[in-house]
Amino acid sequence: MALIVKRDEEAFRILVERHQDRVFGLVARMMGGAGPEAEEAAQDVFLRVWKSARTYRAEGKFTSWLMMVVRNQVFTRLGQQKRRQDIDGNNPVDDETGESLLERHADSGSAAPSEALSLKELQKAVEEACAELPESQRLIVHLRQYEGLEFEEIGKITGQSLTAVKALMFRAREKLKKKLSGYLSASN
Amino acid sequence: MVVIYSMERNRTEDRERGGLGPELAALLAKAPPPQAPDWFAAKTLARLRNEERPAAAKPLGMAGWRWVWAAGAAAVVAGWVLWDRPKAGSEISDAEVFAALDALVQQDEENRWWAGL
Repeated sequence: MALIVKRDEEAFRILVERHQDRVFGLVARMMGGAGPEAEEAAQDVFLRVWKSARTYRAEGKFTSWLMMVVRNQVFTRLGQQKRRQDIDGNNPVDDETGESLLERHADSGSAAPSEALSLKELQKAVEEACAELPESQRLIVHLRQYEGLEFEEIGKITGQSLTAVKALMFRAREKLKKKLSGYLSASN
Repeated sequence: MVVIYSMERNRTEDRERGGLGPELAALLAKAPPPQAPDWFAAKTLARLRNEERPAAAKPLGMAGWRWVWAAGAAAVVAGWVLWDRPKAGSEISDAEVFAALDALVQQDEENRWWAGL
């Protein structure tokens, strides 16, 4: 980061390569797909890191600070998306499949897992279940499950108390269990 | 007794950890988040270079919005200077004033004659 403060592009490139999967994964999960918009949002995160490098204090973990930047960027984008949808009154459409997200969610509720459950199907179900969670819960689940962060750290990133984070996690877990109950029993 | 205590402790620890629980965690682990495309770093750097292009590369080293400010300031200064300035040739000689007055008087006399006054 010290080199990035000095405007070292090579250091920036290394930083991007080191953290791109982490940032892109979270952005894509939060935005409901790995489309061009998620890519642009993830790029925005790194550009924000470049611009705000001077404000970084090496007291905490860099990844926590980075996740905070991701959170701010994603929540801003999601807010803009919501406003746009409110104005247009449109049903959001999946960039990859062209399928309406609302239709897809409606379908997913009635889908029963077959015995020969393919990994792809399972992944889709998990992605959909995560996408249906409220944004704050989705973020906490991701940070806990895929980044392996402690709740204290998640609280710092999301700007919430430990109790609030745990409460959100509990609600998310209950929703995921309910949504994926068929898959849970199938995997046993 | 020891076994029951151990199971209870594990369950408590899991609850205290507040995670998703082993089943759900295993399920979610099968659906890892997507990875960044191969070109991601290159595209990000290209965007950075584009956005950070030095001001010197722009005309006379000024960013677009600065031109707007400079033009606006120049217009205000020019207006201030030229606002109350007497125009060249705008002065009227005494002879012209008297000639105009004579014409007016004559016109008035004509009007009165035509009116039979």
